[in-house]
Amino acid sequence: MERKLFLRNGLAALGIAAVVPLANACKKSSGSDSSSGSSSSGSSSCTATGSETAGPYPTVTPSSYVRSNITDGQTGVALTIKITIKNLNNSCAALSGALVDIWHCTALGYYSEYTDTPGGGYATVDYTASHFLRGRQTTDANGLVTFTSIFPGWYSPRAPHIHAHIYNSSGTSLLVSQIAFPTDICNTVYTTVSPYSNRGVQDTANSADMVFSDSLSTELSSVTGSVSAGYVLTHTIYVSA
Amino acid sequence: MKGIIRLQYRKIIGAGAQQPWEKYVFNDSHAEFLLQAQLYNQEKKYSSFSELIAHVPNAEKLHFLVSASVVGYLRQLNGKIPDILNNAGKLFLPFKGYRFEIIQSDIRDKSKHQVAINFISEPVIWYDTIGDQLLVSVNGDKEAGEEILTEQFSMQPFLSIYSLKKPV
Repeated sequence: MERKLFLRNGLAALGIAAVVPLANACKKSSGSDSSSGSSSSGSSSCTATGSETAGPYPTVTPSSYVRSNITDGQTGVALTIKITIKNLNNSCAALSGALVDIWHCTALGYYSEYTDTPGGGYATVDYTASHFLRGRQTTDANGLVTFTSIFPGWYSPRAPHIHAHIYNSSGTSLLVSQIAFPTDICNTVYTTVSPYSNRGVQDTANSADMVFSDSLSTELSSVTGSVSAGYVLTHTIYVSA
Repeated sequence: MKGIIRLQYRKIIGAGAQQPWEKYVFNDSHAEFLLQAQLYNQEKKYSSFSELIAHVPNAEKLHFLVSASVVGYLRQLNGKIPDILNNAGKLFLPFKGYRFEIIQSDIRDKSKHQVAINFISEPVIWYDTIGDQLLVSVNGDKEAGEEILTEQFSMQPFLSIYSLKKPV
C-alpha cells in the first residue's frame, strides 16, 4: 500500500516535473484533481505498456476562437470589424477587458458548423478552418476589439448580420446581440462581386427582419470603404457591466 | 490482404483525468462550455447540459461550439491517436479526422463535466490477424516482392473498426 502510494506519487511528480518547464507554468491548478484515477479510458489491461510519454509535452492552448483574423481562407470582400463596448452602468465609459465573441456566415450564407462536417461526418485537424468566421477578442483600454474578416453574405429569411456575444472579464454573459448592415452597401457588394452576385441582393430588408425591425436604431452599424479597398465596419454596443 | 480499414478510438475525458493533456482538455472544454452555454440559457433556468439539450432549440450546437477549445490540443498530438500502442508500446495510428462530443456537463458542478473525442484513423491496410493482434501497415501497400513495414496491435475497449474497404 505504502509502496503503491509512493510509486503513484512519484510518477505523478515525475509527470509534473517533465511538463512544467515547457507548459507555461502550472496555470491549471483549479478544478478537481482526484487522485483516485477512475477515468482515463485508456488501454485495457492486456495491451503493451507505453514506452514513451505522450509525444511532445502538452501545453495550455487557448480556444481556437481567440484570434483577430477569422477569415480562415473564406473568400469575399475584405471587412474590418471594429466594435467598441461601452458600459451603461459607468456613464457609458469604455469597458476594457470584456470578451467579445462574433460569428457570421460566408459569402454564400453558410455558418461554419454546417459546412464543417457535411453530412454529419467528421471534422479533421488538417482542416484548420473548422471554426471559420468565428472569433473572440478582449477589449482594450478604449473598449475596442478589431477583427479581420470578409463581408458576410445572407440567408433566407434574414437580413445580413453579425452575431455578437459580450461577456465580462470573468466570462459572465452581458449581452447577446446582432449587428445590421447599411442596405446600400449590401446592394453594392451583393450585385457586383462574385460569389455574392451569384445570389444577388438580400431577400429580407432590415426593416422587415425579425430581429432588427424593432431595434434597428441601436443595431445598425456604420460601414465605409469600397469593394476594391475593402470595408470597415464600426459599431458600438452598450452593455450593463 | 483482408482489406483497408479505418479505426475509431473513443477517448472519454472526465473529472478523473490524470495526464496533463487530458486535464487541459477537461478544464478548457468546461470553461468554453460555461461561456457558450449562456447563449442557450439566457434566463439562467438550466444547470445541466442534458437540460439544455432537452429544452432549448439548437443547444446541440454546443458540441461544435465547445470543440474549438480542444482543436489546439488535438494538433499537439502530431497526428497520432493517443493511448493506442503497437506491440512495441509506441503510438503509431495516424489520424486526421475527429468528432468531439459533450457527454454530460453542468454549469454549477464541474465534476460532472465529461467529454469524448472520437479519433478516426487514416486508412490502414489489414493483412492478417495473429493471435489477438492485427497485422497492419500504415504506409500503404507495396508491389509483390517488396518489403512492407508493418505494425501489430491489439483491439481493446473503445477501439473499433470504423470502416472496411474490401480488396479489389
